[in-house]
Amino acid sequence: MSAVASPFLPFPVHSLLRKLRGPRMQRSLFGFWTLLVFAFLYIPILLLVVFSFNESRLNIRWEGFSLKWYGELFSNRTLLNAFYNSLIVASFTTVLATLLGTIGAWMLYRYRFPWQQAIGLLIFVPMVIPEVLMGASLLAQFVHLMHLPLGYTTLIIAHTTFCFPFVLVGVQARLQGIDPALEEAAMDLGAPPVKAFWLVIVPYLMPAIISGALMSFTLSFDEYIVSVFTSGATSQTLPLKVYGMARVGLNPQLNALSAIFVLATIFIVLGSQLLTRKQKP
Amino acid sequence: MTGHSGTFRRKPGLLAWLVFAPLAIWLLLFVILPTGMLVALSFAEQRGLGTIHFTWTLDNYVRAFQWTWLKVLSVSVWYAFLTTIICMVLGYPVAYYIGRSGPRTREILLALVMIPFWTSFLIRTYAWITILSKEGLLNTVLMSMNIVSEPLTLMYTPFASVLGLVYNFLPFMILPIYSSVERLDGAMIEAAHDLGAGPVRAFSQVIIPLTSPGIAAGALLVFIPSIAMFAITNLMGGGSQPTIGQVIYNQFTAGRNQPFGAALGTLLLMIFILALYLTKRYRKE
Amino acid sequence: MKMKATLIAAAATTLMLVGCGKPAVTTEETPTSESTASPDAAAPETSEPKRLSVFSWSEYIPQSVIDDFATETGIKVSVENYASNEEMLAKLMAGGGAYDIIQPSEYVVEALVKEDALHPIDHAAIPNLKYIGPDFLNMAFDPGNKFSVPFMAGTVGIIVNTDLVKDEIRGYTDVFQEKFKGRIVVLDDAREIVSWAFETLDIPINEFTPENLEKAKPLLQKWLPLVRVYDSDSPKTSLINGDVALGVVWGGEGAKLLEENEKFKWVIPAEGSHLFVDSLAIPKTAKHPKNAELFMNYILRPEVSKRISDEFPYTNPNLAARKLLTPEQLSNPASFPSEEEMKSLQLFKDIGDQASQVDELVTTIKAQ
Repeated sequence: MSAVASPFLPFPVHSLLRKLRGPRMQRSLFGFWTLLVFAFLYIPILLLVVFSFNESRLNIRWEGFSLKWYGELFSNRTLLNAFYNSLIVASFTTVLATLLGTIGAWMLYRYRFPWQQAIGLLIFVPMVIPEVLMGASLLAQFVHLMHLPLGYTTLIIAHTTFCFPFVLVGVQARLQGIDPALEEAAMDLGAPPVKAFWLVIVPYLMPAIISGALMSFTLSFDEYIVSVFTSGATSQTLPLKVYGMARVGLNPQLNALSAIFVLATIFIVLGSQLLTRKQKP
Repeated sequence: MTGHSGTFRRKPGLLAWLVFAPLAIWLLLFVILPTGMLVALSFAEQRGLGTIHFTWTLDNYVRAFQWTWLKVLSVSVWYAFLTTIICMVLGYPVAYYIGRSGPRTREILLALVMIPFWTSFLIRTYAWITILSKEGLLNTVLMSMNIVSEPLTLMYTPFASVLGLVYNFLPFMILPIYSSVERLDGAMIEAAHDLGAGPVRAFSQVIIPLTSPGIAAGALLVFIPSIAMFAITNLMGGGSQPTIGQVIYNQFTAGRNQPFGAALGTLLLMIFILALYLTKRYRKE
Repeated sequence: MKMKATLIAAAATTLMLVGCGKPAVTTEETPTSESTASPDAAAPETSEPKRLSVFSWSEYIPQSVIDDFATETGIKVSVENYASNEEMLAKLMAGGGAYDIIQPSEYVVEALVKEDALHPIDHAAIPNLKYIGPDFLNMAFDPGNKFSVPFMAGTVGIIVNTDLVKDEIRGYTDVFQEKFKGRIVVLDDAREIVSWAFETLDIPINEFTPENLEKAKPLLQKWLPLVRVYDSDSPKTSLINGDVALGVVWGGEGAKLLEENEKFKWVIPAEGSHLFVDSLAIPKTAKHPKNAELFMNYILRPEVSKRISDEFPYTNPNLAARKLLTPEQLSNPASFPSEEEMKSLQLFKDIGDQASQVDELVTTIKAQ
């Protein structure tokens, strides 16, 4: 078609058609799709932010603008403490899970350990196992076998256990496509394996590591069932406080809290990107 | 575990063992031992308020093979499968777009994918209820624009259940695929297009296979956890369709039969291990 | 690396917004301006260390009540929550924590007493027990109130959205009709649901024998496919949203709906219903039983009990507190059933191992 049309038309149809079918058009299409998906992700969030300004206590009908929930939120020590606990637990969990997952994936890839296959399966157990079973068995483990008091430590251990497989699977996938030349290059530098790992492999794995960290944080922050079993009185996390709230109607203070957290995080992410000048190679 | 890696796998030296030790110890203490206790529990009986008697009985397993539980399990697996497929379709283009973006945009978009899920699960779900219910946002908009004359029944349906599942698991598909897309070489892609392959073929025959580890990872990270997920299906679907996660949870609460719950869980684990083993063998052939 | 820094920075900033410095680790220590000093409750000192560990239903004891108790007695209170009796039992039995106060429902108290898992209470330390109405004292699950004091009671009943349902609804049979298919909400509680079937079939509501379950099965097979939503946590949501038109829910939920909108109507089922009583009790493993008794006495103060009623319009067993309620609160039929209705209500007993079969029956029917 294009070969016939081009001699008679003033503009290069062939390359125009190629442009339409080429990677740039693809990119716009994908971009549009991405926009739609982001809309899907954010519409409920927008709604809950709007409802944080709702006069009514029930999250169902709009009844007028009010800032009172924000005011009440700042004097709600229990909710804020729970939020603080969730942040602490999620942060520690993220660090631990990312470490365990990344190093684990690398070790399994690089070396032949005995029982390799079994370990590969075991990694998935925390993911497969229903949360109530994980919670109950870990509780028994902590209380009866290890005699650990329930608190931050047990929470973090429990959360890390079901988060690190997510990191590991992600890093493994990234390792599957690794260029063997990359590793050779590291070895050739004469550097000891640890340095080679740090300077060559880790930068390569970074997208998977970051993905894993993001997933871990999210999983831990919102975890309810496992937390029920493994938390102590002083380490009540946000989901634990929130789940019972449904009975009396979710307090819009929760909306206010979420709105602040979401907006603060977006602000920080955008801000830190705008401020950085150095680009990653 | 295929291809290149085989040529480089070495026997671990002392340093390697030392580095691997924390993972090994973690697995032992917090995966192997608790799972062992769980399996042991499945052979016990619960009496009274919650005292467990280790009678080493097979009753729980015999009971598990009844139609009710198998049906419940198959429904859960089906929902998980649907969720995974939909997440793949919705999520791949997003992951591709982010992966091919500039480094700054990438990081922003990646964070933006995750940030909605740092709100509390319950208020997110209640927001969806507000959107989808008979007198909710969507219906109000549709009715006022005269697209429909009667409000649509969207809440408390299988549709709502799957929507809730997809919503909550989408990031877990996007992120691993992004990881694979990010390492694609721009030159490779241009080349594929230049060779005259249409965009569809360039995609399906070059790009998708190259990103298949990411797709597989995403599928695993969505499919596996969503089988036992029940909070979402309960809240959005109304709870009229029992799921295996709900059933097992019940055994620890109203059902007062923890060993039975443990047996169901162990069976789930066995099925998974079998499936994984079969997949590996199929791959090798 | 940048992303992690970003995350940590985000957390740090939010923390600064949220309240500078390290918040109190134990959750409740804040003094509030309000204080409910009362003539007959000069909090005596106990010899125990000033701590109290409360394990209660989420949101059932208002935070302000706990804070005021802490201020008045100087006792540091830590609160853990659960969302169901069985969750509480699971953690208690697993030896999870040493709790001083738990909040079990009546059949759980019965089971705990049977297993000798409760610490006997000293009535001399809880003089405010006198305010509880005789209807709620000395009940079958804890004769003589040796181990528990009533906290709040309530029933299960039918709520109808009269805008959507014009028929008269008198009982379960009226609710579970074909014409209401897909518009009904019920509690997500197998035992409850089967007990309604039992009441309709005139089977004693605590006898969950295999024969009785078989008898109830056909009726349940007729009922359950008509249900759209199973929800024990917040059945009012689907009712307010118009997704369902009527349902069988807790009294407290019903009361809230009645307060919300006049279109809702409350009916105690003609076939019969049951009364639930949530109590405060002290586990045997409690470390501070004397402080726990102080707490119980505090909750029983009329003004304190009134505050609880304000937040949770259930049936308040504290007669002195009832005198402090408004006429609207007292006339809410879902909060305070009539004399006649009270007489017709039965109590749940502990059904032990039968619970598993009940759960299986309902799950099987749901799965079809």
